[in-house]
Amino acid sequence: MKKSLLKKATALLAVAAMSASLLAGCASGEQGNTSSGEASSQPGSSVADSSVGSEQTPQENEHPSWVSETPIEVRIMLMDNANQPLANDTPAHDEIFNKTNVRIKLEIVPQSSYDDKKNIALSTNNFPDIVYLRSYTDITDYADEGIFEPLSQYINEETMPNFYKFWQQYPEMQRYMVDGEMYVFPGIAREETANGTGPVIRTDLLEENNIPIPNTFDELLEALAKLKEIYPDSIPWACRQGTGQLLKTTAYMLGCGHGDNGRGQGMYWDADKGQYVYGPAAEEFKAVLTYLNKAYEMGVLDPEYATTDANSMATNASSGKSFFFLDNSGFGQNYTNELRKIEGLENATFQVIPIPENSFGQRRAVAFGTTFGKLFAVNAKAENKEELIKFIDWMYSQEGSDITNYGVEGLSFQYNAEGEPEFIPEYIMQFKDASPSDYYAAYSNLGITKLDWCLWACNTKTQFEIQKITGSWTEVSDEYWEIIAADEAYVQPHMSPSFTAEESERISEITTDLDTFFAQEYDKYIMGNADIADWDKLIQKAEEKGVRELEQIWNDAEARAAAALQ
Amino acid sequence: MVINMAKRIKSKKPQGMGSKMFDLMNYLLLAVVGFIMFYPMYYVFIVSISSSQFINQGMVNFIPRGINFDAYKAVFANARIWTGYRNTLLYTGLGTLICLVCTSLCAYPLSRKDFYGRSVFTVLIMITMFVNGGLIPTYLVINNLKLINTMWAIVLPPAISTYNMVVMRTSFQAIPDSLVESAYLDGANDITSFTKIVLPLSKPILATMTLFYAVHHWNSYFPAMIYLNDQEKYPVQVLMRDIVVQGDMAGEIAGTVNVIATNYKYAVIIISIVPILLVYPLLQKYFTKGVMVGAVKG
Repeated sequence: MKKSLLKKATALLAVAAMSASLLAGCASGEQGNTSSGEASSQPGSSVADSSVGSEQTPQENEHPSWVSETPIEVRIMLMDNANQPLANDTPAHDEIFNKTNVRIKLEIVPQSSYDDKKNIALSTNNFPDIVYLRSYTDITDYADEGIFEPLSQYINEETMPNFYKFWQQYPEMQRYMVDGEMYVFPGIAREETANGTGPVIRTDLLEENNIPIPNTFDELLEALAKLKEIYPDSIPWACRQGTGQLLKTTAYMLGCGHGDNGRGQGMYWDADKGQYVYGPAAEEFKAVLTYLNKAYEMGVLDPEYATTDANSMATNASSGKSFFFLDNSGFGQNYTNELRKIEGLENATFQVIPIPENSFGQRRAVAFGTTFGKLFAVNAKAENKEELIKFIDWMYSQEGSDITNYGVEGLSFQYNAEGEPEFIPEYIMQFKDASPSDYYAAYSNLGITKLDWCLWACNTKTQFEIQKITGSWTEVSDEYWEIIAADEAYVQPHMSPSFTAEESERISEITTDLDTFFAQEYDKYIMGNADIADWDKLIQKAEEKGVRELEQIWNDAEARAAAALQ
Repeated sequence: MVINMAKRIKSKKPQGMGSKMFDLMNYLLLAVVGFIMFYPMYYVFIVSISSSQFINQGMVNFIPRGINFDAYKAVFANARIWTGYRNTLLYTGLGTLICLVCTSLCAYPLSRKDFYGRSVFTVLIMITMFVNGGLIPTYLVINNLKLINTMWAIVLPPAISTYNMVVMRTSFQAIPDSLVESAYLDGANDITSFTKIVLPLSKPILATMTLFYAVHHWNSYFPAMIYLNDQEKYPVQVLMRDIVVQGDMAGEIAGTVNVIATNYKYAVIIISIVPILLVYPLLQKYFTKGVMVGAVKG
């Protein structure tokens, strides 16, 4: 009796265990089947075979922009954005399907996890048809693994007529090539307005206290010092994220850059000299430190600048404690909105000012890049490559761009007399006062513009158009963009050249050494604990560490890249 | 008079003042430590119910200002949070169940002295505590098992935490052999004595393990982020991390910049930690309960 009970119990347990494992197997099997099945069985070979011969069939003519006769699915790995949450099956995505017979399926990865996820996906060669790469380094790191489809074979008038136009229009695109082969399709900006790092000041306070808008950086300090006199409790110059950010934002304007190129700090492209310079090891860098030291000693610069976190600037600027910052000048409008909520500050205005003249008599600034957008690579294992390439080319066409930036004709936009797309106001008005902003809500809802799957992408163009419809466009924003547009000091960022493997290795060796060496020195000089005359000794030491060799490597690579373009 | 009294106390209880001072210092110190522990959570809470205008001016420190629940309304209006919540509950519930079953099934044989090859198996299992395959190989294994983008990739791999298994084994060993022996004498087999004798006596350790595993599953975001591709499958922690970290990454994009409001971020944090906080008191009574008292006589 007892024995049979035991047997029953054991059997039961065994069965339970087996069925559990079976269940697990089944469920996962199903999943596996459906995902791979959809990708493989539907489009597969049959489509590839038929589409070659069927280009002139009647159905094709009915849908001139169809890239495949049978519907295919294209999976794309994209980065999500908290401002504009992405989704599948938005109106624009449906319209893409109607026009091309391609159903896009986004694999939406949270922004904060994108790099981890992408790196694992690439190193295990387990990524969807199209993947969004974060930087040029991603291409160089993985290109020789053979996981990306080489694209040069497709880039010609016949296969990719739309993309080829851009290829010719922007020869700089060739800088994305690795060893003479192209692995990415870069997004192209459509009528983008560029802003960038710039000086933003409380113009209402300047007016109130009869201080003229500073024309030089020295006048700027005087103006801020005067404000400090009038408001002794204030911290006139707000900062964020420590010394590195301060140097990155100010150094170039003050005469000597402090780079930001994905390969360490320090090295920057000097547009005036036309060459790469390692900023801290240049004579002009002393002017940068001298200026910041002066700002510090005058009590103008945030005394805690070296230890500020990401929020300090926002806190100080939008509470009325600070009157000036030199960072992404777009922040100014957020702070203005916050300030105006405070009683007595209804007229407070943070407005960008034209780039002041530095001690070398230059006015210069680097705008945010507005030529190329995101980089997309194609999986070498992707199926239906022919259709895929056609589809990508369609994304660069006028029709493709209108749909991916304006949504659906008749629903969210219509063409005006000049044939230009225009948003339909009734549709856009539903996003008035939406969170986080009207235009992001509209983008998210429709599934459009540069953060979504879009290759010839609008960003500011559509933003302005939407803001003008909903009325969130203010005089301050109007003025802001006018000032930026009129300011000739801004230049577009320079695209880094490509390096050989040996060069890359040498660069990271020297750069790490130099960056850590200099990083511990800046604050001494800004806070006045060391004499600026001593900086020459540091330059000497940097030369011993190979700073000139480093500059040589960069400039040689640059010369190669420039020669290749001609 | 007062001096007299003080003298008398001092003389009668020489240690009295000292021990009172000691107590006082103790309380003070503990209060400070307690405050340090409590304040961050309290701060997150008050910011989440304050108005962003005051938060941006840095005026919310100890009391909430401009109290409102807009941030919570906004969070609850976000459909993704709800999906995430549902997924988290599913992964935590199922995952914890799997963990408990597997861990106790593994720990019990290893706790029995008469288990053949006990030391060999123990060593083999212990090795995994110090050496593991690493991220990429693990990913490849999960991939080849076709678990990618399924919830099994989340709940199966952490089924046994070696450390927890060892703790459980030790706890099983503490149960006197004579109990199991007497069960044998009454005709019980291994499974009966495990389920009828050992497990009921091990409620405290089971409760502890439940808590450990549940907290682990509740907080885990990394496997979900790595192994899942569809947004509808993400647990709430992945979304939370994105919302919270995003603000720090608001970097350089052309156009005007939108920053996620701090109170919204903090409301997300509160919402995602409160449920797991509530589990703790429910399980706490098992921790201190002396189940073993009087189990063995003589």
